[in-house]
Amino acid sequence: MRPSGIVPIALLIVSLAMSAFGGLRAAPQQPESDFRSLIEQRRPSLKRPGGPSEFYFTRGVYSSGWRWASWATDYPKADRQFMLAVNSLIDISAAEHENAVRLNDPEIRRYPFLYALEVGNMALTASEAAGLRDYLLAGGFLVIDDFWGSWEWANFEREIRRVLPHHRIVEVPLTHPIFNAVYRIDEVLQVPAIGNHWAGRTWEGDGFVPHVRGIFDEDGRLMVIINWNTDLGDAWEWFERPEYPLMYSSFAVQMGVNFIVYAMSH
Amino acid sequence: MFESLFEFLFKYRPLIFDQGAFALRASWFGLLAAGAAAAGAYLTFRTYLQVRGNSRPLDRAVLCGIRIAALAVVAFCLLRPVLVLSSVVPQENFLGVLIDDSRSMQIADTDETPRLDFVREQLGTPESALRSALADRFALRFFRFSSETDRVAAVDELEYAGSRTHVGQALERAHDELSGVPLSGLVVVSDGADNADGGLGEALLPLQASGVPVFTVGLGEEEYERDIQMNRVDMPRRVLKGASLAVDLVVTHRGYRGESVTVQVEDEGRIVATQEVVLPADGEPETVRMRFTAAEEGPRLYSFSVAPQPGEMVTRNNVRQGLMVVEDRRRKILYFEGEPRWEVKFLLRGVDDDENLQVTLLQRTAENKFFRVNVDGPDELPGGFPTQRADLFDYSGLVLGSIEANHFTPDQLRMIADFVNRRGGGLLMLGSHRSFAEGGYAGTPVADVLPVVLPAVPADSEEGFFAEVKVSATRAGESHAATQIADTEEASAARWDTLPPVTVVNPITEAKPGATVLLTAPDDLVILAFQRYGAGKSLALPIQDSWMWQMHADVPVEDETHETFWRRLLRWVVDGVPEQVAVELSSDRAEPEEVVTVTATVVDPRFEELNNSAVVAVVTRPDGSVIERQMEWTAERDGEYRTTFTAGGEGFYEVHVEASTGGELLGEDAAYLQVAAGDSEFYDSTMRGSLLRRMADDTGGRFYTSDTAAALAEDIQYVGGGVTVVEERDLWDMPFLLLLLAGLILGEWGYRRFRGLA
Repeated sequence: MRPSGIVPIALLIVSLAMSAFGGLRAAPQQPESDFRSLIEQRRPSLKRPGGPSEFYFTRGVYSSGWRWASWATDYPKADRQFMLAVNSLIDISAAEHENAVRLNDPEIRRYPFLYALEVGNMALTASEAAGLRDYLLAGGFLVIDDFWGSWEWANFEREIRRVLPHHRIVEVPLTHPIFNAVYRIDEVLQVPAIGNHWAGRTWEGDGFVPHVRGIFDEDGRLMVIINWNTDLGDAWEWFERPEYPLMYSSFAVQMGVNFIVYAMSH
Repeated sequence: MFESLFEFLFKYRPLIFDQGAFALRASWFGLLAAGAAAAGAYLTFRTYLQVRGNSRPLDRAVLCGIRIAALAVVAFCLLRPVLVLSSVVPQENFLGVLIDDSRSMQIADTDETPRLDFVREQLGTPESALRSALADRFALRFFRFSSETDRVAAVDELEYAGSRTHVGQALERAHDELSGVPLSGLVVVSDGADNADGGLGEALLPLQASGVPVFTVGLGEEEYERDIQMNRVDMPRRVLKGASLAVDLVVTHRGYRGESVTVQVEDEGRIVATQEVVLPADGEPETVRMRFTAAEEGPRLYSFSVAPQPGEMVTRNNVRQGLMVVEDRRRKILYFEGEPRWEVKFLLRGVDDDENLQVTLLQRTAENKFFRVNVDGPDELPGGFPTQRADLFDYSGLVLGSIEANHFTPDQLRMIADFVNRRGGGLLMLGSHRSFAEGGYAGTPVADVLPVVLPAVPADSEEGFFAEVKVSATRAGESHAATQIADTEEASAARWDTLPPVTVVNPITEAKPGATVLLTAPDDLVILAFQRYGAGKSLALPIQDSWMWQMHADVPVEDETHETFWRRLLRWVVDGVPEQVAVELSSDRAEPEEVVTVTATVVDPRFEELNNSAVVAVVTRPDGSVIERQMEWTAERDGEYRTTFTAGGEGFYEVHVEASTGGELLGEDAAYLQVAAGDSEFYDSTMRGSLLRRMADDTGGRFYTSDTAAALAEDIQYVGGGVTVVEERDLWDMPFLLLLLAGLILGEWGYRRFRGLA
């Protein structure tokens, strides 16, 4: 019943890439300094426009350290391209546009699926930590992506401990249903950022081995899935680029689709 | 009082006058004397016509009238008036005396004296007053009756321990036994607290036909001054373990108006609920809703009681017991969802902890691609929604989410309707742009089953409908088990009012006749409605994001309202859903040695009734011994099998029924029976004067109380049947006539004095 082959996804990505590439090229990229205003402008409503959508690919907006707003890495292109793929692959009422919400915004609980990346530079405020804690304990699902090596892991672990001090982080085995929700995932690939790919490597820093780890609630339900030493977001963002390997894009889309379907049914 | 005064004045009681015929038995001397009195009256009249003096005409008329009346009384007495009566011949007739041997005779409600004391004092020994009076006239035959009727040689054989009173059966038995002898009547000494299932009318017919009067002696008070009674308990017979129950108790009382009493529920000795209740006006029933959780599995004996109050006449009627089977098994619910939706996640999450619910998710992720959660194995739902009835009917409940009608074949739509109608399952349809009218269900068999009227034009066909609404509970919803989201009714209603808004895309405003709306929203939107349909029930919940009751920022993280709502709703969806084999007993409580009927219904996996199954009932007694009974098809209803067994000693009995066909087990079920001497004698235990009067009136007898029973013997002598003789009783010496005569003479004297006449 479930497609496990990479070929159909690859073909789809090629066709999507061709249309998306042209569309995105036509729209001028937002300068990074305007991310805050972008959040406000593209904030969707559950009611409207264009009818309510069931699913919003929601990006968690958090405070970061010395660097610029790291939450917005690949934003919004990765979000839009990924949603294009999702809407084509599964029968879901998903908003096509991006949706960024601050962790301390009470409205975040309207969006039970949350994506956060570059968490190696995360520096949560107290209200953000509390907002994320309530979000997760109430039933929200968090996907962490695109952070590398031991230093960034240590930062993330420190920050997530502030959110969930009593929950353990464990390796999620390939036998877990999340790897089989729609697509069968038999191996966790290390998806490189496009720059690393150009540099001829898949890793970054000392992050040589990809890991999928998780945090489970007291009832054994997965509430945080952590993609460490891998960059699914870059694969979504650049799947229209011929030089970016289709293998990684397909894998990243399969993982993302599995995350969504699993999150919406468990 | 009236009777005593009457008897003093007229010498005999009214009954004697009722039964007798008036006649004059004057001798020749009497006739002569009466003629003289008449002549005297004439002379008196003539004399008063001629007399003048200082009297007025009015004075003369009054004095003349008095004088003539006195002479008339004398003349009446001289004519020797008599009552002609038909009287039974002493010792030629039999009289059946039926004495209540039930436990209610122990109640000490009159002057703190047990009712049975009357029997002991008045009938206990041959020298007892009433017995002696009866024995002087009749050959007595004593019977005792409660649930059974037996002939007794002596009244002291009675034990007053019977747990039921069957007056009708007692009359039939005594009449049958005395049918070959001259019978003057039957005397029933009882409080009239008949608690037999059958009516009394049939038992009276043969007595009426053969002219045997029934004389009833009612013992006890017709109304207690102060008493509280647990009148009724409405509780389910079977529930799932962990079920939240709302059991209605009806309490009545006399003499405690405005007083606060404690009502409590015990689960085999452990208090599981208490509530303070202020009692209403005398005789007015008070319904008390008790909430508790069925925590322990197996047959559970619950006690519902009101704490005894000072001055209560009977305290044993403050308690009622009920047997409930708490099942620790998983009820399977199929949740079919047409697309990934948050409702799925949060619904599953809501019932995740409920070990008695297994919600199997079948979710379409793309065309002909399905995602399954909580399946029993790889063979369950391999190709999507079931195409065979047996596969669908394996579930007890069915939830249809955002799935359009077109996804189903016509046969599958009929199958869904049959799931409710025939299989007895529970169907719940959720709101979405692919359900109800918007999903194309109007005109389908599923629409017939749903409890709401689907609009003719789906909202999607025009501009679409979208409303964000706050939900509130209707009056029915405030007290319904499915919509209880807090510990008390008031708290539940208040919680509904404070829950965050949810969204609706299915504008449903009309429930079907017979459906009940539990939740509603402004603009008459129906939010939750249900109806019974065929053997099952259907529910409509046209909201698409109840998960906002969990995830909205206004809802505290630790709040359990959403989980409670779904757990209770889904439990109610599958509540009472039958299995292939279902067994029922004639009652879940029986007396020792009572015959119990076992009825089983057997269907095949498609829920078609089977009349040729091998059905065996195994009854396990409290001591572990078993009785095995082959159950036979009744031929009255398809699929119905029946047998009986006689309950033995007290304790719990398990009746396990297995049905098989062609050597293959179809299913099994168990029911439980509590055998014990019941307390039914203490409920409605006031003397039932109306019943006793009716028995007497319908048969030509009379009703007595313990105070008036002394007249019983003489009354039967003149009212009863059998061998009789004619008897005349003089009336001329009635004190009334003497008093009347004296009154007239004194009246004449007084009038003269008053008017100053000579």
